[in-house]
Amino acid sequence: MKEQLTYTETSLPSIKQAKQSLYTSYSGMLLGYIVEVVKDRTVAEKYLIDIFTSLQANDIQDIFNPDNGSVYCRLQSYARKQLQTVHNCIAECAGQAAISSNRVTGLMNEEQQLVFCGLHYHGKSIAQLAYELKKDETAIRQILKQSFNIIRSNRK
Amino acid sequence: MIQQYINSGILEAYVTGSASETEVEELMRMKTEYPEVSIALQELEADMEHLARHMAVEPPARAWDKISDSIDEIMLRNKHVQPFIEKEETDNRSNDRSNGQQYIEVEAESSFMRIHKAWKWVFAAVFILGKIFLAFAIYFYLENRQAQQQLQEIKTELRKLKP
Repeated sequence: MKEQLTYTETSLPSIKQAKQSLYTSYSGMLLGYIVEVVKDRTVAEKYLIDIFTSLQANDIQDIFNPDNGSVYCRLQSYARKQLQTVHNCIAECAGQAAISSNRVTGLMNEEQQLVFCGLHYHGKSIAQLAYELKKDETAIRQILKQSFNIIRSNRK
Repeated sequence: MIQQYINSGILEAYVTGSASETEVEELMRMKTEYPEVSIALQELEADMEHLARHMAVEPPARAWDKISDSIDEIMLRNKHVQPFIEKEETDNRSNDRSNGQQYIEVEAESSFMRIHKAWKWVFAAVFILGKIFLAFAIYFYLENRQAQQQLQEIKTELRKLKP
């Protein structure tokens, strides 16, 4: 008896392989990011599993596309979209971004931490931060740039 | 002008996911047109990776197994749902088959079956219990044989003692 299999079905093992490759290389880094977003290790682990499970063939293609830049940054961008509801919840509950302090962000001053963590970990927009910090958007971008200069000085 | 664009903070906003759609579109165009922008973006992405590596948290050992199980479940579900989808899409299928791209003819009869991973512990327990029962059976068989021999010897001695 012959049966028809769709292209999507036959490609699932390769999707699994691609996911495993992403997981092996970046799961620790991504989990670190999610922990910073949700502030709870157990919840973060659940989100990590959900994110890897929900990755579709086109998402993987997009992540591995060399024209789109760093694989990790693409994966993080995907995770950020998946965590949008968490971002909204944090924004509603806390009102402002909690300051995350580690060896890298700890080198930033309070304002730089608020901008960097607000944008990167708490999904805030530049306009929102500009309103909260009573500054214009150009100033927020400059503070963000300063934060990146600190990260780079730590990297080099 | 390019340096001014790089220094504007738009690239940083892009890598933190806070750039607007218009800014992203503009950046993608600038990236292809100006290698300086592309290099600056690569540097920023390297910064993000550096930060992420610095803050990495080791995921639990079972996390990948859970993801793997979910993918396997999707595979199985697709296999079950497929016949119904095919029935509805018979017309489309014939078109697709003529293109020879979307459908692949395969022999679906398989001698393998899929079971949940939890069953491996049941199989291990059954295997160990089997070995224990076998050991007991051998032990009692030998004991019984020895007892029979002793009984036989006693009977022989008794017969000798009888006048």
